[in-house]
Amino acid sequence: MAGPRAGGAPRDPGGEGLTGPRDRAVERTIRIRARPETVWRFWTDPERICDWWGSSAELDPRPGGACVVRLGGDAVMRGEFVELVPYRRIVFTLGWDPADGAPPVHPGSTTVTVTLTEDDGETILTLRHTGLPPAARDQHRAGWSHFLPMLADAAGRPGAQVGEGR
Amino acid sequence: MALRALADPTRRAILRLVHEDELAAGEIARHFPAMSRPAVSQHLRVLAGAGLVEVRPSGNLRLYRCRPEGLTGVTAFLDEMWSDRLAALKAAAEREEWPARARAAHRVTREARD
Repeated sequence: MAGPRAGGAPRDPGGEGLTGPRDRAVERTIRIRARPETVWRFWTDPERICDWWGSSAELDPRPGGACVVRLGGDAVMRGEFVELVPYRRIVFTLGWDPADGAPPVHPGSTTVTVTLTEDDGETILTLRHTGLPPAARDQHRAGWSHFLPMLADAAGRPGAQVGEGR
Repeated sequence: MALRALADPTRRAILRLVHEDELAAGEIARHFPAMSRPAVSQHLRVLAGAGLVEVRPSGNLRLYRCRPEGLTGVTAFLDEMWSDRLAALKAAAEREEWPARARAAHRVTREARD
């Protein structure tokens, strides 16, 4: 079975350290041909976040503010902003409201750190998603079939096949 | 390897087909009329190689079925989710910025000429 890093992005160029096999984390690094200021707006503006993630969103981008993204159907991702360093770093908690097909990750129970680094007028984006459930529970609850409806939804949004960051 | 196999939309569609039912290769191919039979077979080979489907012979047929243990877990799901979403973010952010850049470049060119 492929590990979480299989086929994935290079190591975090910001040097947060290597991810050991026991760390339950997802990491991605992509290069975006747009300035960090532009990319920032796509994370903090409720209209723009719907261009790539949700079908509707409530965002209150300040520490303690709500971060709620609704996908098609019943899936609702819910968390709070933890830290915002304009155009450089966004930290928020994330989980799903309990629903059929939603991952067994409760609202606010995991943390996503997005780092934006300017490089020659473009942006290196690193995303690190930590605090994921321990492997035992993961294997127990969540098989492929459990997530298939959600994956279909996540993968079916416009632009999903463009410029894959792998 | 499972995630790479999932990166392709046709292969995800095949997985959805064989999620509930065990299907012969020909039945699967009928769902993709725009695609050649060898191309569908190649996708099935990739899925089998990644452990996402299992195949068993039945008479002249080869039957395919989703292998639920092929991709388990929240981490794999989220890895796939972020790959898809970040690709969409990249596309959206670049769409927004490039028209602006194109206009700026045009202006610079005109100013240099004038």
